[in-house]
Amino acid sequence: MKILVTGASGLLGSSVARSLIVLGHEVTTLQRRASGIPGARDVQGSTTDPAAVAEAMTGVAAVIHLAAKVSMAGDPREFERVNIGGTRNVLDAAQEAGVTRFVHISSPSVANAGSSLIGAPAEPATPASARGEYARTKGEGELLALAADSDEFPVLVLRPHLMWGPGDTQLTERIIERSRQGRMPILGSGAALVDTLYVTNAVDAIVAALDAVTRVHGEALVVTNGQPRPIGEFIESLARAGGAAKPKLRIPVAPAIAAGTAVDAIWNLSEHDDEPPLTRFLAEQMSTAHWFGQRRTREVLQWQPAVSFAEGMAALAQHYDR
Amino acid sequence: MKFNAQPAAVPGPLPEWDERWSRLVTVDTVDGERTFHVLDTLPALKEQGLEPTGTIIALHGNPTWSYLWRRLAAASIDADGRVWRVIAPDQLEMGYSERLEHDALPTTHGSGYRRIAERVSDLDAVVRSLLADTADAQGEQHPVVTIGHDWGGIVSLTWASRSQDIVDAVITLNTGVHLAEGTPLPAPLRVALAGPALPTTTVLTDWFLRTTLSLGQGPISDEVKDAFRSPYRTAEDRGGIGAFVADVPAQPSHPSYGELQRLADDVASIEKPALIVWGPKDPVFVEHFLRDLRHRIPHADVHRVEKASHLVSEDADVPGIVLRWLARQFPDDAVSVASGEEPTDDPAPMIFEALDARRSDATVASVDMTQNPPQQITWKQLTRVTDGIARGLQELGLQRGDRVSLLVTPGNDLTAVLYGVLKAGGVAVVADTGLGVAGMTRAIRASDPQWVIGLKPGLTLARAAGWPGRRISMHGLGPIERAALGVETSVTALARTKSTEPIRHPGREDDAVILFTSGSTGPAKGVRYTHARLGALARTLRKQFEVRADTGWAAGFAPFALLGPGLGISSVTPDMSVTKPRTLTAAALADAIEAGKSTMVFASPAAYNNVQATASDLSPEQRAAFTKIELVLSAGAPVPLALLDGLAELFPNAQIRSPYGMTEGLMLTDIDRDGVAAAEAQSRDHGVCVGRPVPRVRFALAPLDADGRASDELLTGSGAADVLGEFVVSAPHIKSGYDRLADTDASSKRDTLDDQIWHRTGDIGHIDPEGRVWIEGRVQHVLSTPLGPLGPGGLEAVANTVEGVYRSAAVGVGPAGVQTVVVVIEPDAGAGRQAGLAPQQLTDAVRASVAEHYPHDVAAVLVSNDFPTDIRHNSKIDRTRLAAWADRVLRGERVGRP
Repeated sequence: MKILVTGASGLLGSSVARSLIVLGHEVTTLQRRASGIPGARDVQGSTTDPAAVAEAMTGVAAVIHLAAKVSMAGDPREFERVNIGGTRNVLDAAQEAGVTRFVHISSPSVANAGSSLIGAPAEPATPASARGEYARTKGEGELLALAADSDEFPVLVLRPHLMWGPGDTQLTERIIERSRQGRMPILGSGAALVDTLYVTNAVDAIVAALDAVTRVHGEALVVTNGQPRPIGEFIESLARAGGAAKPKLRIPVAPAIAAGTAVDAIWNLSEHDDEPPLTRFLAEQMSTAHWFGQRRTREVLQWQPAVSFAEGMAALAQHYDR
Repeated sequence: MKFNAQPAAVPGPLPEWDERWSRLVTVDTVDGERTFHVLDTLPALKEQGLEPTGTIIALHGNPTWSYLWRRLAAASIDADGRVWRVIAPDQLEMGYSERLEHDALPTTHGSGYRRIAERVSDLDAVVRSLLADTADAQGEQHPVVTIGHDWGGIVSLTWASRSQDIVDAVITLNTGVHLAEGTPLPAPLRVALAGPALPTTTVLTDWFLRTTLSLGQGPISDEVKDAFRSPYRTAEDRGGIGAFVADVPAQPSHPSYGELQRLADDVASIEKPALIVWGPKDPVFVEHFLRDLRHRIPHADVHRVEKASHLVSEDADVPGIVLRWLARQFPDDAVSVASGEEPTDDPAPMIFEALDARRSDATVASVDMTQNPPQQITWKQLTRVTDGIARGLQELGLQRGDRVSLLVTPGNDLTAVLYGVLKAGGVAVVADTGLGVAGMTRAIRASDPQWVIGLKPGLTLARAAGWPGRRISMHGLGPIERAALGVETSVTALARTKSTEPIRHPGREDDAVILFTSGSTGPAKGVRYTHARLGALARTLRKQFEVRADTGWAAGFAPFALLGPGLGISSVTPDMSVTKPRTLTAAALADAIEAGKSTMVFASPAAYNNVQATASDLSPEQRAAFTKIELVLSAGAPVPLALLDGLAELFPNAQIRSPYGMTEGLMLTDIDRDGVAAAEAQSRDHGVCVGRPVPRVRFALAPLDADGRASDELLTGSGAADVLGEFVVSAPHIKSGYDRLADTDASSKRDTLDDQIWHRTGDIGHIDPEGRVWIEGRVQHVLSTPLGPLGPGGLEAVANTVEGVYRSAAVGVGPAGVQTVVVVIEPDAGAGRQAGLAPQQLTDAVRASVAEHYPHDVAAVLVSNDFPTDIRHNSKIDRTRLAAWADRVLRGERVGRP
């Protein structure tokens, strides 16, 4: 099958593209820089550029749309341009090209108002009440994708939650790096349960979605390992795998949420342009439960995570040992 | 104050309210045409293409309106089976019905406002007009049922009693038919009625309205309260509320007093099936109103919702209770429910007959070591004493079926009183202190005994807590104490009754005893046994324990300690507090064995633990006593193999056995030490093996669905092997029923397999291919994981093997069907662990241990140093509470305590 993967420069996008090539598919990749994936037809360009999108879409039967602006801060217009406008371009071009399978990658934050999520189902996206530009614009993008869904143009939305593993710079390396520097705090009791997703499981789930979309469509699914863990255990496990000491810094929840900026100074998180300061949103994310019912996801995708939480941590330790 | 006439109206949008239900009905009443607002589900049913096959006529009280029945209306539309139409009028001048013109505020003797007689005739007019909509709305094909609440209860019962040609069944929630002379009015009404205060509390302000709405046990949401208040915004809207209160006949001079006397008699003429659903926390309609109703309609089923107050239908699932009861009364199809008849073949003797059979036996029947010096009584004496008590009670006026609450600690006294009461046809109510004072109070109020027999502490409590019943002290008291405790006579005096009158014995189908569940999962439930069933229990126990003429036991386990004489077993009560098993020492047990020449010992694991712990204090003579024991029985909680092994050392010549049962079926299975050892050696199965069913007990299994609910289909035999489900049992000696819990009782015996009466035990587990029963917890403790339902017991057994774990509870966190497994552990005493997340090492160890046996992921391991358990056994872990605590902790909230 001829498949277009957008956003193939990131860890997840490039891994998906590689997997599909191994499985014998003809893969086109679309992203701003060269993807460098052997065997892929590489189109360089932005999803915000209709011409580039049209070129990438030529002859394609299936699309996996990963390209997005992922960040906690930044110019709202930039988020809108990529996460809404870019998605609209890709959807339009795909329909134009007669694509028959469309997998849209979203985020659980599109339906998350910051409160506890306990075995939650994938609720509809609510951009109006989203926290932050990323969540808002990803929510709008997801709604666009689901609105385009039809029997002729089936769309399935996956929302991977807290992905980690070897090669992940977003979450894994930041936590390990800060732990090494003794700057990684645990908020509150550290007992709030969170669901996470090992990177290769995410790749498998997306590949599985390419088949699933022909059976079930017009629906969003949160994808996780289905193994909720106390947030403290998750952070400590990552730190240990990365060879760092167990995080000792503990911050009570209420002050962290109430006075995000003061804690921010201690945490010193905002040294890089793209990095998340300890916003109220993040403080809530890291101190309240966030885990999801996986029954529906597994039923639809006919997929099981191949790598368990413990196996993933062992693989991560090996990765840092080299 | 002047009240202007206001036409009837239709409410706007309200929460939980369907606007299609509203209709206005104009009928001819005592003072001309009046228009009523009526909740009527007929149009909504017709829109769904449904034709009603039954009608429920619901009448609200004061100061509510038909909004009270919204949940019944909604549930009746969604219900399976018969299609019920709900008709619920707003009474005149109430809710959205018409308001009349008045020149003055309502007063007790004033005129112009509706009185109860007119309200009955209003209801008649409205109902007859609406029933005409459904032409065949009568007879077996289309039952008509009334339900009422508060003063609407009286009105609807009265109408039903006078319309028994139309009405097929009656239901009432909290109401009061009769104000007995000399009984003061309930305080809230006294306040409202206090002469000049009446208009202020009811009309000019909304005090009465607000007070009523505040009676909910759970919080009633502000939106719902607003909806209740919506037709009563202004003083002018509230004339009817005041009129209703003013019509309460507090004195015989009241204009409605005569009518109330008449209708009270009419209500007693109701012959149709009846259901009373009662909220005992009601400060207005208190217990004596329920008692009065029960006397007037003695055939009525009663269902008490212990935690519910006046607005029962806001506090409890009244629609469910009502619709399930109706489905049983008026089954939709021809398939009838089980006959419910007791098995008639092969009747066992009544339990006091075993005692009477030894009337001339001069050997020892019972020794009470709690007395100093120990008190002993022969079979001959015991027979004579119990005869005397029975005669004395009957002379005092005890009627067959009267309930007698026994507030006497186990020992000879209790034994004598119990068998005396049973002989006389009294029903012994045995609420033990293991329920806690609050639990005991609830239990005794619910069983509503006519008599109380007690020791001083019990009688003091009865007096202080206002428990019902005529009081008799155990022993003779001085005149001052007798007066202070309100005691009529003593058992000692009764026992001396010399009379040649034959004792009037009870029948086999009469109730014999009411026992109580331990209350670890909600308020303790009263469990009724008839003489037939109690006799069958005795027969089963005699057979199972191989009782001979010289069998004797030292029994430190209630209620078995009481059964000795009825089993023909010579009994010794060791010097201990029977309700505190841990007070049994090895020396006390040895002395008891010696004194009673016992061949058996019966106690709980907690008691045996202490026996083992104090065994080093035994003298050689005491040790020798232990060697005479042939059978050691342990019951009340699972027995760890280590304890069984310890017992085998202490009692070298005894068989060690552990029967399994519950208050509702005291003897279901039995297992010996070798059986436990064999089961533990087996790794395929997990949970607690309680052995095989004893003779005459049948086990069936109700498999659990994906959400952990027990199915209605029963599996038996090989079809049930290794399936996780709820145990459903049948035997001649299981309970007759739950007491005054009509809905709970019907639900527990809903199975009809092989036309037998079954009991849903609430215990879950599986039956292995060899027919052994394995317990894995309670049905409400099932974890419903994405991999299917999981019983906590097996997983706990595995977690308990981890070093440093004293005991554990496996709980599910999250919504049904996608719950994640959390293991809460109670560390060994003195481990000094902090409550909350377990240390990583312990977590890893528990996960590794579980992973060897289960595919389930353990999300977290938590530490709690004080497990919530029941008071009686300190062994039934309240997993529901631990689950709620685990949920809070794993949300990231403050750790606190379970």
